Amino acid sequence: MKIKFILNENEVSIDVDPMKRLLDILREDFGLTGTKEGCGEGECGACTVLLDGKPVTSCLVNAVHIDGKEVMTSEGIAQEPLGKLLIDCFDETNAVQCGFCFPGFLVTSYHYLITDGEKNPDKIKKALSGNICRCTGYQKIFESVMLACERKPLISTDQVN
Amino acid sequence: MKFIRPNDMEGLFQNMEENNDRRYFLAGGTDINVQIKNGVIKNAEIIYIKHLKELNGIQIVKDDIVIGAVTNITEILNSKIIKENLPFFQRSLESFASPLLQTSATIGGNIANGSPTADVVPLLLVLDAKLEIVSKTQTRIIELNNFFTGYKTNIMKTNELIRSIIIPRKAENGFDTYFEKVGSRKSLMISKVTLAGLKNISHSKFTTVKLAVGSLNEYPRRLYKIEEYLTDKSLIEINFLKVEELLNEEITPITDLRSDKEYRYHVCVNLIRTFLNE
Ligand SMILES: Cc1cc2nc3c(=O)[nH]c(=O)nc-3n(C[C@H](O)[C@H](O)[C@H](O)COP(=O)(O)OP(=O)(O)OC[C@H]3O[C@@H](n4cnc5c(N)ncnc54)[C@H](O)[C@@H]3O)c2cc1C
Ligand code: FES
Ligand code: FES
Repeated sequence: MKIKFILNENEVSIDVDPMKRLLDILREDFGLTGTKEGCGEGECGACTVLLDGKPVTSCLVNAVHIDGKEVMTSEGIAQEPLGKLLIDCFDETNAVQCGFCFPGFLVTSYHYLITDGEKNPDKIKKALSGNICRCTGYQKIFESVMLACERKPLISTDQVN
Repeated sequence: MKFIRPNDMEGLFQNMEENNDRRYFLAGGTDINVQIKNGVIKNAEIIYIKHLKELNGIQIVKDDIVIGAVTNITEILNSKIIKENLPFFQRSLESFASPLLQTSATIGGNIANGSPTADVVPLLLVLDAKLEIVSKTQTRIIELNNFFTGYKTNIMKTNELIRSIIIPRKAENGFDTYFEKVGSRKSLMISKVTLAGLKNISHSKFTTVKLAVGSLNEYPRRLYKIEEYLTDKSLIEINFLKVEELLNEEITPITDLRSDKEYRYHVCVNLIRTFLNE
């Protein structure tokens, strides 16, 4: 099946098995290996991407689901001003250990930052509740996102949708 | 694996004329993809339905709220119609899976997949929901409580699908509401019990009680016998040992469960007690 979609702001098309997982399309067909496979069952969030602006677990999304849609991965987000801000904040707080979960957390936190962005621990916890980290115990991750919320007003948001 | 992406409802029904017990519908894919990965679904015929407009959206139709089967949980959580008419239903769905799943998971998929732990089903049961089930030649409206027939089985033929879920607009009006899940999803095979309840009280007696339970047996269901026992009683007149006895009568436990049947029944009765005490 031929599908067309927007990948990190570029229009792309590909002939693919309609049931192929978005996770595999990103990694195998586009070489975007930032998106990770942890559980492959929707439990861990390591494979999170934005589909039409909303976070989804790409291990449970099929090629047919993305036809005509917009996909944004951690690689795309890392190019955005607020993505860069988040990376800096995670770095400053030392919130990343092995780093396996980080792309997923980046995508979900970015979504939180652009859709809400209130420096509110409960809201942040809830927003990130689908992402699992085996290393850190989460406190530093929450702190990083809190910090990013605090600094968000200082960032030029021209490019933010 | 055979895959079909119909352009519209006509195309959908054309592809469904023959019965085929290997037919699955792909809506959000949150259940199917796990089942494919684990080899539970093999050599299937998969029909994509998520894009069909006729199956999507939330509307008020006379005295009912009609929710298209492929409407996802996020859409229900953000819907103004649901907020104004069924706020308890909306609130209760906030605990559905995780925000990452809510955008993909559909309400129709949750019902059709028929897991005993399906969250949405006990809620819909106390709201007296009905299902609109369609095939090429027929539409039938059936009560959700009559939909399931066993573990992950239901009354639908393979040439039928759920078009919409119908909830009376005033289903929550005037009721105290309750929804509680005990046990986490990770441990769902051993400890999860879900209870949804509606009640109203007049002169300290329960005038109406509606209860539905998930995870106790093969499929979620209403607890009509207990409801009947509780009606027109005040709290002090209720014997909770009797409630537990009725629960045993009403429900056959999940057979593949090992030793914790008693425990689950206790949890369930405790939830009922908490709800009535509130
Ligand atoms: C990590 C994780 C957490 C979860 N947490 C929860 C939770 O907290 N609570 C909960 O209730 N569920 C939970 N689920 C289960 C799942 O997300 C839901 O059951 C979901 O609503 C299924 O919808 P879907 O659109 O993804 O279904 P799909 O996977 O697309 O389809 C599921 C099944 O339903 C059938 N089907 C779909 N639509 C129709 C239709 N319109 N008519 C007839 N048949 C149809 C398909 O043939 C298939 O057999 C969880 C799943 C995962 C992976
Ligand atoms: S790999 Fe997709 S959620 Fe774990
Ligand atoms: S840093 Fe290792 S899993 Fe999160």
